[in-house]
Amino acid sequence: MTNANSRYWLCQVAGWGVVALAILYFAHAYKSPLSTNVILGRVLVVFVTGILITHTLRSFLKWRGWMFQSIEKVVPKLLAAVIVTSVLFSLIVLVAFELLGLQGPQGTKVTFLFKLLGSVFDNTLLIFPWVVFYYFYHFIEKNRKQEMDTLQLEALIKELELKTIKAHINPHFIFNSLNSIRALIDENPSRARTAITELSNILRSSMQVDKAETVTFEKELNIVKDYLALENMRFEDRLKVEYEIDEDTLDQQVPPMMLQTLVENAIKHGISKHIRGGTIKIISDFKNHYHELAVQNTGNLNGGLNAEGFGLSSTQNRLGLLYGDKASFEIKQVAPSIVEARVLIPVQMN
Amino acid sequence: MRAIIIDDERLARAELRKLLQDFPEVEVIDEAANAEEGITKIEAQNPDLIFLDIQMPGRTGFDMLSSLEKSPNVIFTTAYDEYALKAFEVNALDYLLKPVEPKRLADAIQKLHFIETKEPIIGNGENINKSLLTENDQVFVKDGERCWFVKLSDIRLFESVGNYAKVFFGNNKPLILKSLNALEERLDEKMFFRANRKHIVNLRMIEKIEPYFNGGLLLELKGGEKIEVSRRQTVKFKEMMSL
Repeated sequence: MTNANSRYWLCQVAGWGVVALAILYFAHAYKSPLSTNVILGRVLVVFVTGILITHTLRSFLKWRGWMFQSIEKVVPKLLAAVIVTSVLFSLIVLVAFELLGLQGPQGTKVTFLFKLLGSVFDNTLLIFPWVVFYYFYHFIEKNRKQEMDTLQLEALIKELELKTIKAHINPHFIFNSLNSIRALIDENPSRARTAITELSNILRSSMQVDKAETVTFEKELNIVKDYLALENMRFEDRLKVEYEIDEDTLDQQVPPMMLQTLVENAIKHGISKHIRGGTIKIISDFKNHYHELAVQNTGNLNGGLNAEGFGLSSTQNRLGLLYGDKASFEIKQVAPSIVEARVLIPVQMN
Repeated sequence: MRAIIIDDERLARAELRKLLQDFPEVEVIDEAANAEEGITKIEAQNPDLIFLDIQMPGRTGFDMLSSLEKSPNVIFTTAYDEYALKAFEVNALDYLLKPVEPKRLADAIQKLHFIETKEPIIGNGENINKSLLTENDQVFVKDGERCWFVKLSDIRLFESVGNYAKVFFGNNKPLILKSLNALEERLDEKMFFRANRKHIVNLRMIEKIEPYFNGGLLLELKGGEKIEVSRRQTVKFKEMMSL
């Protein structure tokens, strides 16, 4: 606010300063018969009165809230205000000239009314641009503020969307794992102990993702390995897992829990629906200038892609939010009974 | 009570079996890992009770139940309380959330005892599938998102709608994929009467009987439905009622 206020005063002083200089220039150029003292006195009066009268006008505009009214409504009122202000301006200036003895030599020959009319005409030419400038400035300022608000709102929405996407970890998985672990406590205590560590890792990382937009692929892969180890405990020989990882991709940054979502999806559609289960294969590689991440699962796409819900559309959204249109995501049948979900992320150099 | 555990995860079955060791009244006679296996084993062994996981590969637990002629007592087991279970709020037998709390399991079994002593299940013998359904038998009805276990004695009316039959009970009338003729064969005629081409009524649910055109009858059921008895069936109806 103080910033805007000082800018206002700067404009006032500069604007009226220009007017004062113009008067001085014309007086000099047209060899005014007035003495230098009179001219300087007049300029000073115009300068001070100008600032005071337009400041009063501004307070009036603010007080009546004319800044926020529609143009059709406010224009006639403004024209009236410009004329009233000009008349007042002229009156004050002329009276001040009289009182301070600044009238010119012809002052006695011309009637006061005539002088007033001339002066009002002159001053209208000053006040009118002032009002136009004032409105124009506010118009631009308002637009810019609106744009900023929209941008801020969009950023907020993006952030919220990311948060809800991240918070997604299937409760079904958590409780099924806990149930399996309970059964393992008697059957295979050491496997039960590692299973608890694996589950803890997954839960911890799903809570920590809020802190980072991206994580290293290595970290994400470890979570996925823990996740698949747990699923393996549940599905036993129905689930087979293969990895095809280029070690150089381990340092790449990836959105947290994204590969995890894809793997979860692959299990849901590729393994858990089939009585005999199937294979999950995870591929990480460089393709041109992209980091390619793919999850393959046994199964067939039955055209029911949109029905598959949250996991896939959220992956698409997250990539869009983080990389714009530089990243891509697709899911397709790559061979008879192999479905592949593939993400391409632009490679970051560091 | 002879029970079968149906769950696709071996460890989940093992865990439940272990928990059930504390209940000598429940004897686990078999296990099944999916819906198909479940149907075969239920039809072959006719258990009193099944523990049924809802999410299974192939067909879900619900799908399995709807394809059974009649449903044994069911306790659902699921890892997460999903919308599907809300459908049962009205007449759920019971469901357990995995990992199962022993106390909840005890309650569920207790509830079954109560049902058993009140209405003992008859006809535990072999070959039960071929015999008629009795009034205490229940059927599993699934209509879109909603599911019901319905006792035959609670059903007022079956109405034929194309290949489907509309089942009237309480305030509900869901559709099941069964023809009226197929139903008639399986129903006890002392209890259910074919009033006309389109309707089978529960004789115990008749509120009023009035004479109708052409020597027919008009039956008013407890739910307010009015069913016409064809002339041919009226003769039969009068014979049965005069006994």
